[in-house]
Amino acid sequence: MRLTNIAAFCFAVASAFLLYSLNYETRRLEAQIQAQERESQKAKSDIAVLKAERSHLSRPERIDPLARSQGMMPPRADQLVPDNVAASAKPDAAPLRRLAESE
Amino acid sequence: MQLRCAASPKANKMQRLAPADASVLDDNWRRRRAPYVNATLIGSALMVFGIVGAQILSLGLTARPHLSLAVSEPVATSFSRPDIIDRNGRLLATDVEAPSLFADPAIVIDRDEVVEKLLTVLPDLNASELRAALSDKVRRFVWVRRGLSPAVAQRIHNLGLPGLAFRKELRRAYPGGALAGHVLGTVNVDNKGTSGIEKYIDDAIGVDPVNSATLSTQAPVRLSLDIGVQHALEDELDTAVRRYSSQGAAGLVLDIKTGEIVASASLPRIDPARAPNLSDSSTTDKISGGTYELGSVFKTLTVAMALDAGFAKPSSIYDVREPLVAGRHTIRDAHGIGRPLTMSEIFTHSSNVGAGMLALQAGPDRTRAFLKKLGLLDVMKTEAGAVPAPQLPSRWERAELITVSYGHGIAVAPLQFAAAAASILNGGVSVKPTLLKYQPGTNARASRLVTRETSAGVASMMRLNVMESDGTGKRADVPGFRVGGKTGTAELAEGGRYNKSAVLSSFLGAFPMDDPQYLTFILLFEPKGSEETNGQRTASTNAAPVTARVIGRIAGQLGVVPVSTVATQ
Repeated sequence: MRLTNIAAFCFAVASAFLLYSLNYETRRLEAQIQAQERESQKAKSDIAVLKAERSHLSRPERIDPLARSQGMMPPRADQLVPDNVAASAKPDAAPLRRLAESE
Repeated sequence: MQLRCAASPKANKMQRLAPADASVLDDNWRRRRAPYVNATLIGSALMVFGIVGAQILSLGLTARPHLSLAVSEPVATSFSRPDIIDRNGRLLATDVEAPSLFADPAIVIDRDEVVEKLLTVLPDLNASELRAALSDKVRRFVWVRRGLSPAVAQRIHNLGLPGLAFRKELRRAYPGGALAGHVLGTVNVDNKGTSGIEKYIDDAIGVDPVNSATLSTQAPVRLSLDIGVQHALEDELDTAVRRYSSQGAAGLVLDIKTGEIVASASLPRIDPARAPNLSDSSTTDKISGGTYELGSVFKTLTVAMALDAGFAKPSSIYDVREPLVAGRHTIRDAHGIGRPLTMSEIFTHSSNVGAGMLALQAGPDRTRAFLKKLGLLDVMKTEAGAVPAPQLPSRWERAELITVSYGHGIAVAPLQFAAAAASILNGGVSVKPTLLKYQPGTNARASRLVTRETSAGVASMMRLNVMESDGTGKRADVPGFRVGGKTGTAELAEGGRYNKSAVLSSFLGAFPMDDPQYLTFILLFEPKGSEETNGQRTASTNAAPVTARVIGRIAGQLGVVPVSTVATQ
């Protein structure tokens, strides 16, 4: 009888301990989830801002004068060829030759 | 105890009396005392509960300033919106988190200090309004400024004023600045669409109401616009406004096969990030927000009607030497050639008399039916809303027939006219302008409006008008891209009368004319003559060369291959 009581008491203590530790573990995990959600929210917000900034930096209004200052310009009619012509055209060997000579 | 005592009854008797008496006394005393004990216990319990209850009641009734925001305060709801991207996936509008500043008047200590210090960071703040709002201590929530930039928010934070706090909210950002501002439209302070595509998103796609800065999970809205083409168009229009000292300009690039609006610009621009000034009529969208008498570009429709009805061929000859008389009006050509013209020449020399003769030959019923078929007599709608209704002649008699044939006495929105012209040039099937990227198979309701032969005939006349040395559109040519087009110079109507000093000069262009793919429509409002134009302000001297510059820049981007290069390969 006494043994049963002791066992029951130990079991109760162990259960209480287990319950409390589970409770604390759950709370810890919840806090962790919340922290990660906040982090993910923050990352999403940062991505949105970065996306907007990248688009702002690559807007044609800004790129246009930069490209022109580098000597670029809208393509002329004689600079464009249809795909089939471009595919069968031989590459210009001169730049490769120059490269080989410089080495 | 009593069992043991029973062994000696004598002694027991003596001993037993005393405790028995004591216990009787004790019991009596207890019995007498019991009600008092119970009453005391119940009383103290009641008192404790009473104190707790009173405390709860007092907490509930009196507001404590240090408690957080009262639940009954209206916390503003805003909306999270899907991104807007162009046809190639480049971002045009997106939501970003931005701090919004609010005040709690109940804990603002010195409202004058708050207002004065805030003015150093936000100089355009309405001080008297804010002071009045802060004086109302019953209010617990007053917006001061919504959608601040992080830098400004930091400066306000650094002021260290009690009673001010920030909330994160979503704010619409337009990375392209004012690019395609008229098309994109605007949103209000709650991030709800109020005009343009932004309003369309609210009405047709849906936005999510949110109480915090939660970004939308919806798929982005893909427009038909091409940012590169849009920029080239706006840039060339800017140059044109400067070069020809115009009051404004507008331009449109339309895919005539699918109806996609590839670019649509109107100057002066509007910035979608700022609320539009509704009283300023100069910033109206001139492509789809206003109707104009477009002038001779309308002759494109007149010759199409003549060809389609079959009563004239490009080679049919008309004697245009005599002016046309209609009631009090006499219509004559400004620069008569002095000989009869073929229909093709009527088009390339832009003869008003010739166009009038064609319309008279067609008659009022056929003319009206043709314009109706092209959708020019009804209200047109795009995703951005309804286009203003065309202004039509009240009756269709001789004078009206003649003037309508060269684009006077009928005012339509440029977009509506461009759609009609596109339907003629694309092989003759109806096309509906759209601001959304075309999904194959969705244009199933297209119906035939004119025959293929008519379409090809109009296209070749437009090409001739640009190719021939005496064509009005010769300055629109871009070597290799087979441009065709028609000029239009109309006096602007003001208060029911024509203002002779102000013209609307326009050029309807299309390319490549062997199989037209794109239509351009350039409009210049009140251009002035300059040295470059020999003092002229007709479309052939200004709108035509602007078209050439625009097509030269966009044709490559749109994948149109120049033919001269193909020929030389």
